[in-house]
Amino acid sequence: MQEASEVAPEAPPPVAGLAPPPALGVLLVAWLFAGLLLAFILLPLLQLVATPSLASLRRAAGDTDIASALGLSLIGAALAALLSATIGVPLAYLLARTRFPGRATVAAIADLPLCVPHTVAGIALLMVFGRRGLVGRPAEALFGLQFWGSLAGVVVAMAFVAVPYMVNAARIGFEAVDPRLEKVARTLGMGPWEVLLRITLPLAAHGIATGFALTFARAISEFGAVVILAYYPMTAPVRIYELFLRFGLDDAVAAAVLLLALSLALFVLFRHFVQRVAPMPGIGR
Amino acid sequence: MSARGLALDGVSLRLGSFALRDLRLEIGTGEVLVLLGANGAGKSVCLETIAGFHRPDAGRILIGGRDVTAEPPERRRVGLLLQSFALFPHLSAAENVAVGFRGRNHREARRAAEALLARFGAEHLARRRPQLLSPGEKQRIALARALASRPELFLFDEPFSALDMETRDALRDELAEFLRRSQIPAIFVTHDHTDALVLADQVAIMERGGIVQSGRAAEVFARPAATGIARFLGVENLLDGRLEQAPDGRLRFAVGGAALEVAPLPASAARAGRPAIACIRAGEVRLGRHRAAPPDAGASHLEGRILSQRSLGPLCTVTLDCGFRLVACLMARDARELGLAPGAVVAAQIPSDAVHILPGEALG
Amino acid sequence: MTNRRAPFCAALLGLALALASPPGAARGEEAGALAVFAAGTLAVPFRELDALFERRHPDIPVQPQFGGSVMMAKRIVELGQAADILAVADYNVIPKYLFSGSGKARAEWYVGFARNAITFVYTDCSRYADAISAKNWYEVLARPGVAIGRSDPNTDPSGYQTLQMLSLAEAHYGVPGLAAKILANAPSANMRDTETALLSALQLGQIDYLAIYRSDALQHGLRHLDLPAQIDLSDPTLASAYATGVAQTKNGALHGRPIVYAATIPSGAGHPEWAALYLALLLGPDGQAIMRKNGFGVIAPGYAVGAEKVPPALRPLVAAWPGS
Repeated sequence: MQEASEVAPEAPPPVAGLAPPPALGVLLVAWLFAGLLLAFILLPLLQLVATPSLASLRRAAGDTDIASALGLSLIGAALAALLSATIGVPLAYLLARTRFPGRATVAAIADLPLCVPHTVAGIALLMVFGRRGLVGRPAEALFGLQFWGSLAGVVVAMAFVAVPYMVNAARIGFEAVDPRLEKVARTLGMGPWEVLLRITLPLAAHGIATGFALTFARAISEFGAVVILAYYPMTAPVRIYELFLRFGLDDAVAAAVLLLALSLALFVLFRHFVQRVAPMPGIGR
Repeated sequence: MSARGLALDGVSLRLGSFALRDLRLEIGTGEVLVLLGANGAGKSVCLETIAGFHRPDAGRILIGGRDVTAEPPERRRVGLLLQSFALFPHLSAAENVAVGFRGRNHREARRAAEALLARFGAEHLARRRPQLLSPGEKQRIALARALASRPELFLFDEPFSALDMETRDALRDELAEFLRRSQIPAIFVTHDHTDALVLADQVAIMERGGIVQSGRAAEVFARPAATGIARFLGVENLLDGRLEQAPDGRLRFAVGGAALEVAPLPASAARAGRPAIACIRAGEVRLGRHRAAPPDAGASHLEGRILSQRSLGPLCTVTLDCGFRLVACLMARDARELGLAPGAVVAAQIPSDAVHILPGEALG
Repeated sequence: MTNRRAPFCAALLGLALALASPPGAARGEEAGALAVFAAGTLAVPFRELDALFERRHPDIPVQPQFGGSVMMAKRIVELGQAADILAVADYNVIPKYLFSGSGKARAEWYVGFARNAITFVYTDCSRYADAISAKNWYEVLARPGVAIGRSDPNTDPSGYQTLQMLSLAEAHYGVPGLAAKILANAPSANMRDTETALLSALQLGQIDYLAIYRSDALQHGLRHLDLPAQIDLSDPTLASAYATGVAQTKNGALHGRPIVYAATIPSGAGHPEWAALYLALLLGPDGQAIMRKNGFGVIAPGYAVGAEKVPPALRPLVAAWPGS
């Protein structure tokens, strides 16, 4: 990559490839469509937030069923994100750094969960992780681990639908690491594992952390696949659905607003945290 | 094989559709070899092989007298410096240098790093991140970092190619000084022959994965082995003509109606009576106001009309028509004193040993 | 950089297709179609009925939607969706949710048209499949290691009907603790909101037995138990006996009632005349044949509640609900 001509010492880093600002007409049209998008997202959510009364919100916040559903969703999503990171980051590394026959196919496979309808995914997972399944049967026999109607099942369903986000974000993170840095690190005496831990992973941390956040967000909102494997214990989306069936819109909406507020707060906190601890690697290529 | 420095003994390698073919090099302590070649010639692959990132199919690599052919990069004691210096962006300058100090704990390495930076006059940069350093500062940090790991060989892969000319010149001078002081042998890869002019003790030219000429720098520049190499080295005059032997035994090169005196050639050179190509560096052509007195075997004396003139800072390049196109290079102030201008007629003198003969058919 | 262009082109294509689709498709309910909201267990027979109806009345397209009975009722009451016909698996859902509804979300009568029974279905791979019979089922199902699935009694009729049946069985067989022992094998982990997931679970061997309707057993070709009519909620004349069976749910204690499928035409229906034609077909001999064929018990003439409000065209096909 050609760098722009470098500047005198003590100057701020150059912004590579400074583009001229777009023409006014282009900006207006772009903002028009952008406005549509923002309205598309905000209107339903604002309507949702405005619907429940403060009393019903307070009631929902104090309800132990709802609280435990929210807690289960948080724990499940966190575990699902950890699981996705464990199995997704190595694949992302391979896709970013190596060339092998069938590489495009492997990348497509990692994206497959995005195309599978959620209920279908749930049933497919049940086939494998159920009592008689390829993984479920030995898991129960060896570890007493059940995926039906349990936290483990929730985590598996969440991870299945969310792992593509992890793989793609981590892959971008690794691709942003200049391989020349790794070469130089080797010549300085670092073995391949030390290079991975001290150079590659810290520089890819931003991408991996972003993947973690996206995976968490996707996992916490999953309903279709989770509900096949585990209805009880109830995650928040399932509880909200049950509330709607039993009582009606008001109670369901109050719980939904709580889930929304929680997810949003977590997301913002996480992004802030990531920016401080693992910011985008500088323009050091 | 020398006990210090680098030796490549018949190194060959296949990399997809590219191949390195039977590379042979030898560099002693304190020597700098500049590896020249066009893009795609294989210079970077050669460096990477020496550094240990490719396993040769045949041949040996010796660094500091040790056979490292089977060693992984981290055990080869090589310092690698790349384009824009590859400083780790997530570490400060001092932390970058500290990485080079192996086998010490964190605090010791930091202290050693800061001491080393002081030797480079860069201690004030210790806490700065690489993104905020100028190219000169980056070079110093990168050199300090490489030096910390006590290399036996330096490898430079076009570190200046993204810089403007002025910065490039400054850094090159600094680097030359550094290499002279450290006495660590180095290979410097570039596609710019002026780098070779400044830095090289030895020069090797690569083409399509093989070394087509190598030797002392002065020798290679004066006597390129083929027209392609000559072009690559920036030889300004490549003349298409005929080598003839006069009845008195003297060799002459006939071109464009003139006959240039040629110094006696070794037996293996081009044979008389055949088409040949004469290589003459523009700097060897002397311009003057009058044709010098008697023609002699030591030089050719010609007259030519100035076709064009170009100034390059302190130098001036002049293109003459002497019956053939001749390019001369002189100091700008000398050009002014001679009153050179397009259309003027001047005398040109070419020493016979500046005419280097290459065998060949007509230039393509 | 083809990787970057492909999703962009796909998005453009998708947008183009979406814009090009006929505008009528989105407004089916209001435009010219009969909107039928029906319980999931009626899916198979109603699809046959729809096909027959469309043959008899080619100019009336039918648009059925299936789901949990309570869910379908709530769609009308809470979400204000316009249905021409609501057909539920538990007749009580209609008075409970729609009799006190306001404006368009309201009904004033309903007709019970079919019966069903609660039973347990199983496969050849189920535990003790060869040993179980109508005589020893309550003992087999209580054995350790047997996994039983059922739907959520808080949200689904078959869920609380199962509990009512077990409560009746305990009294019928005179075995105290029968219900608790069987329910120990049907913990909340084995509960789902709809039968679809549970049927898959049964077929995959995750559960051995599934509490579900006899009609489902016949439709899916599954082995099932023939339970006594005194407990399986199948006979409308045994209503008072059934009332002694109780299901404890989050909605309170629900007393047993016969499983009667009922239908009504809500006040907000867009095409009440068409709806009346549809119900006439359902309540007539053709409809009865379809229901019978699919494993439902038939109630003919239909049992009507609020008979004076039943549309005149349907009155010949119904009689007052016995005992009301």
